[in-house]
Amino acid sequence: MRINDAILGAVLLAFALVIGLYAQSFPAIPGQEYGASVFPTWIAIAIGGCSLVLIAGGIRHWAETGAVALASWARSGHHLRALAITIALVILYILVSTPLGFIPTTFITLTVLFGILGVRLALAPVLAILLTMAVHYGFYSLLKVPLPWGVLTPWAW
Amino acid sequence: MILATEMVFQPQVLFTIVMAALFGLFVGAVPGLTATMATALLVPVTFFMEPVPAIGAIVTCSAMAIFAGDIPGTLLRIPGTPASAAYTDEAYAMTRKGQGEVALGANLLFSALGGLFGTAVLIVAAPSLAEVALKFSSFEYFWLACLGLTCATVVGTGSPIKGLVSLLLGLFVATVGLNNPAGVPRFTFGSVDLMGGIDFIPAMIGLFAVSEIFRYVLGMSPDTSGAQTRVGNLFTGWGRMMKQYWRQSIRGNIVGTLIGALPGAGADIASWVSYAVSKRLSRTPEKFGTGHVEGIIESTSSNNAALGGAWVPALVFGIPGDSITAIVIGVLYLKGMNPGPTIFINNPQDIYAVFLIFILANIFMVPAGWAAIKSARLLMRVPRNVLMPTILLFCVVGSFAINNSVFGITIMLVFGLLGFVMEENGFPIAPTILGIVLGPMLEENFVTSMIKSDGSFAGFFERPISGTLGVLTLALWVVPLALFLWRKFSANRVSPHATRG
Repeated sequence: MRINDAILGAVLLAFALVIGLYAQSFPAIPGQEYGASVFPTWIAIAIGGCSLVLIAGGIRHWAETGAVALASWARSGHHLRALAITIALVILYILVSTPLGFIPTTFITLTVLFGILGVRLALAPVLAILLTMAVHYGFYSLLKVPLPWGVLTPWAW
Repeated sequence: MILATEMVFQPQVLFTIVMAALFGLFVGAVPGLTATMATALLVPVTFFMEPVPAIGAIVTCSAMAIFAGDIPGTLLRIPGTPASAAYTDEAYAMTRKGQGEVALGANLLFSALGGLFGTAVLIVAAPSLAEVALKFSSFEYFWLACLGLTCATVVGTGSPIKGLVSLLLGLFVATVGLNNPAGVPRFTFGSVDLMGGIDFIPAMIGLFAVSEIFRYVLGMSPDTSGAQTRVGNLFTGWGRMMKQYWRQSIRGNIVGTLIGALPGAGADIASWVSYAVSKRLSRTPEKFGTGHVEGIIESTSSNNAALGGAWVPALVFGIPGDSITAIVIGVLYLKGMNPGPTIFINNPQDIYAVFLIFILANIFMVPAGWAAIKSARLLMRVPRNVLMPTILLFCVVGSFAINNSVFGITIMLVFGLLGFVMEENGFPIAPTILGIVLGPMLEENFVTSMIKSDGSFAGFFERPISGTLGVLTLALWVVPLALFLWRKFSANRVSPHATRG
């Protein structure tokens, strides 16, 4: 999905203004000219400058490209749904992996993901559990990453 | 040197290298998964290793992935990594003429030779450059960082403005947190997680791996069914090619190493440039594009030589030569092997160990590459709908493992989306990573220099080396701009029909 450079430039310009103004609130160090705000301010000015160039270029090509050139997936409900579910699954993992534990969370996440990507329904949970346990063994047992046990804590090893 | 040999020739280290080689071959051979992605996925695992096997794993994995990218390029006309894209059409044309094994054999042989050449340059150039670099102060490092960042935006493909924006976003990300010369929390919005800054590992996993998963989910990955995967004797014509094309091989090696050493430009650009050079200097340029091995030899030499070249500025100055070494620099800092000239004095054994691993990896490439080509059918039939969720799981666990916190996964997701949107709109993502890695160095050296010179900019030009570097950097900033304005000016005066196609 190609968004017109003018729109992207406008977003960047707004971003530059926000960080540039916010940076002015950083406390100065007494007796020093170059404090914490110098670098963010420079970056904000530079992003602002680039965004103006992008806006100018985008407006010039506006007639050819329009505001947004949709890629084929953007018109396909199936693909958009798959993307939304994938992102939602990662957010779900972030929210529940600590209370629920690595093994159940990963099992659920993977099964759903396999499901929407067209792995056979009978095969998806089997693959998911195998993969979950393999990664758990590799990272928890071999690399000593403290993956959360969550509800399975009484059976932890 | 003996110490280094002992460090490398340990069963554990050798085992790690072999595993990393297989991993690199696999990721490189699967279209859509890049060498940088292989490195990004490997980093969380190396996090838990000793420095030498950790670095060894990355070196081996990246070399194998760059070579293995040639396999699907030759058999399917789908480059396995962007570094193979330059000669994919040529190699596929050879396959259609029934010379697939000659193309693959050439890829294997000249990739290994290119890698060894890059390593030789690294071994010779790095220590002598390090002696020069010992005289550097914060002024020189400031200019070097500027130079590196400038190259990253100018050399890349596509619009320089978009490269610059990508770089600035990386620099901005680097300012987040407490870790700045003043020790003031910046852009943390009261979040304790953000105080520590945005960790570059989850950010990089997001940019390079998660964004690719999104592309797959949206059905944008190449179709790999229908490969011609019967390959004959790979070693056919090795002697003849060596004899006939040694010039091309050496030229590719030199160009590749130089481009690799240039900050911001890596194997991808090296192979494009070398292919073009080969065509221009060839006695038979009309054969290019019809399945002619000459250009393949030159650019496949070049992209592997670039890997070694990229390590020169990375080890000596801490300035990455490409996106892979940007990751490596992050890993070196994590391991307490801070890159810079002093590493050559304080820990020479570590450096020699890295050199040895480079040599080993490129020699091991021949048998491992042979096996990979022979099992190409298997590699290319790996079902994507199982592979991609597996990679996502690795991304999630890897991002978690860095600080044992789910905040890493949040960073990964945000950068995954950012990377996806950026790539869709023609913003290169490698400069962002360079910005994140070089940002702190740039700021620290700037502030230190300003304190030293009492706030006067003249200090940046007073020392001879720093003055030269400064002028060079400023020239890089001003000249393209001047050229751009000049072209606009003259285009307005000359009629638009004068442009040639």
